[in-house]
Amino acid sequence: MNGKQRKFALSLALAMGTALAASTAMAQTIDSKRIEANNPNDWLTYHGSYNSYHYSGLTQINAKNVKDLSVSWIHIPGHSTRGLQSMPLVADGVLYYSGSYSRVFAIDGATGQVLWSYFPELDDALVARQTHSPYNRGVALGEGKVFVGTVDGRLIALDMKTGKPVWDTKLIDSQKLTIGFTGAPLYVNGEVVIGSQGGEWPVRGKIYAVDATTGKPRWDFQTIAPTEETKKTWGNDSWRVGGGGGWMPGGYDAETNTIWWGTSNGAPLYDWSGPDWMHTGARPGTNLYISSVLGLDAATGKLKFFHQENPHDVWDFDSAVGEFLMIDRGGQKYVVHPNKGGYIFVYDRTANVKNVWPMSHNINYATIDPKTGELSHRRDMTAGKQAELLCPHISGGVSWNSGSYDPKTGLYYKIGNEWCMHLDIVKTTPVTEPQVQLNIGANFQIAPPPSGPIYGHLDARDPITGQTKWEVRYPEPPLASVLSTGGDLVFVPDARGTVHAYDATTGKELWNHGDGTGHQGGIISYAAHGKQYVAVVAGFGGMASDDYGPTFGGVFKSMPRDDGALVVYSLSK
Amino acid sequence: MKFSIFYLAAAVVSLACALPAMAQSAGQTSHLDVDQLFATTCGWCHSDGGRVAGKGPQLMNTKRSDDFIRYRIKHGKEGAMPAFGSTFNDADIDKIIQYIRALKPEQP
Repeated sequence: MNGKQRKFALSLALAMGTALAASTAMAQTIDSKRIEANNPNDWLTYHGSYNSYHYSGLTQINAKNVKDLSVSWIHIPGHSTRGLQSMPLVADGVLYYSGSYSRVFAIDGATGQVLWSYFPELDDALVARQTHSPYNRGVALGEGKVFVGTVDGRLIALDMKTGKPVWDTKLIDSQKLTIGFTGAPLYVNGEVVIGSQGGEWPVRGKIYAVDATTGKPRWDFQTIAPTEETKKTWGNDSWRVGGGGGWMPGGYDAETNTIWWGTSNGAPLYDWSGPDWMHTGARPGTNLYISSVLGLDAATGKLKFFHQENPHDVWDFDSAVGEFLMIDRGGQKYVVHPNKGGYIFVYDRTANVKNVWPMSHNINYATIDPKTGELSHRRDMTAGKQAELLCPHISGGVSWNSGSYDPKTGLYYKIGNEWCMHLDIVKTTPVTEPQVQLNIGANFQIAPPPSGPIYGHLDARDPITGQTKWEVRYPEPPLASVLSTGGDLVFVPDARGTVHAYDATTGKELWNHGDGTGHQGGIISYAAHGKQYVAVVAGFGGMASDDYGPTFGGVFKSMPRDDGALVVYSLSK
Repeated sequence: MKFSIFYLAAAVVSLACALPAMAQSAGQTSHLDVDQLFATTCGWCHSDGGRVAGKGPQLMNTKRSDDFIRYRIKHGKEGAMPAFGSTFNDADIDKIIQYIRALKPEQP
């Protein structure tokens, strides 16, 4: 398909989609086929499509007219403790999104009128005890329902038209285990998949699949030592200390009916083992399946393949980032996955490593062989104050938020973070009961990299080779997701509260607008009644952004951490 | 069995470490190792063992009263600090306050 043909195909798809959106009577049910068809008028799943592109094929807003973009409508969800962190979804002109405490809203995408809202009753005493709470990072759509997880361990289905609960399934004993759900679910072929929190909690995190119709659990995958064989990778039965989980939604390969999901780190987060980590320390061994990407059979939850990106992860550079870009190039089918440590892994469709390239410039925890994925020059630390900075900082060389792949330019637009940390590793006794919640195993402090101040950068990269076409820098790492569109645009909502639009080919800034508070969530584009919109959530506060006030001062000193808004833009002319 | 022995040993070591610093409050006893507590939990937000500001405020040289700190540990602050009232008894919290009051800059 040449450029003209591609443009025609996109226009045709747009016209077809517009007609579809205009007639609610023609609205089709949402199933995996519809999600895979990826009508650009909609945004049906967290990553925009099963191929995780975070790309909209819409062209009405483009590089020539983006200067005329202005606010169309705003929605204030209220009670946005720790800001807004979710990815809005759109189907047939209706926008669905979640706020803190898993509050869900359905809004007319053209007018901003609220159609319904749902506020689940949560266990307030539990929420008050939680650390990574009460934010929610998004919903899933399927079979006439909206699915949302809660921090008290439930997965809830709401009727898409009314917002009334259809089923409410308790999956985790959060009152005992502390952890719950903050990540968005993924709808696949009649089931809803969601990963629990885990990481530094003394709990073995799981990935769950629930029947979309009935709410009954179908299968779950234990991410920490699910078999006797994998228990051997946790010396001294240390698998009992927990970790893992998978707190961001993964991807789906429809060709093989495989769910790709990333897992978190182990507990304690930092180990004092030193280089002999196979035999000593808090959790001797490789610790399967922490910091790994998993290929799970969507029907059964059985493990088909995996790659542990950071064996015996002692840095909290886990694999929970949910992007799994499915890219076909030159007859090869690739999967591109960012690791929190700042490396981007390129796999084939069964997780064999094809390349590994660094997204961040300041990485000193290990070197990774691009051909095999094996780590060398590992920083395996012993107890005590570390003389050398550890890079990147615990908030990651990349954030949990997503980049964007534009199939027209063939470029991957992704944010890299340049920051490090002072670290004092502390030998702790094993925590097996979640009484004080976490087991970090260190004291630490954010620090600039050795080469200069902290900063962030948007890169336009070849996703397979990592080659950079252009770069834009920011004084503070932007934490929100990135959007690219068929209008030759890349949108970046930054931490200070400004949304930027860049030329997708050159990186030249073409437009910007202030949303009044920092961004750390999603951005999408959709069409309603034939008009294109860009929707972005604003609202700061949380595990990474709470460091911004003391670290950067300025606007961050007074930036609220309990506020937020959904801001929707369209062309004013 | 291997597991039981391992954790029993760990518990004994932990108890032994905590004994010299045992605190008492209204008949309650604390075996809490506050240094470890900062490394497992509090240090996520109160950086460098509470010596500098992180996600949470600097605790060293805080002007807050004991009562304020006790209330904050028990009840937390929505969206900022978890409530530890069901986790720690009064003696534990007294010990945490003692730790905070004793914080000094680390020697280079």
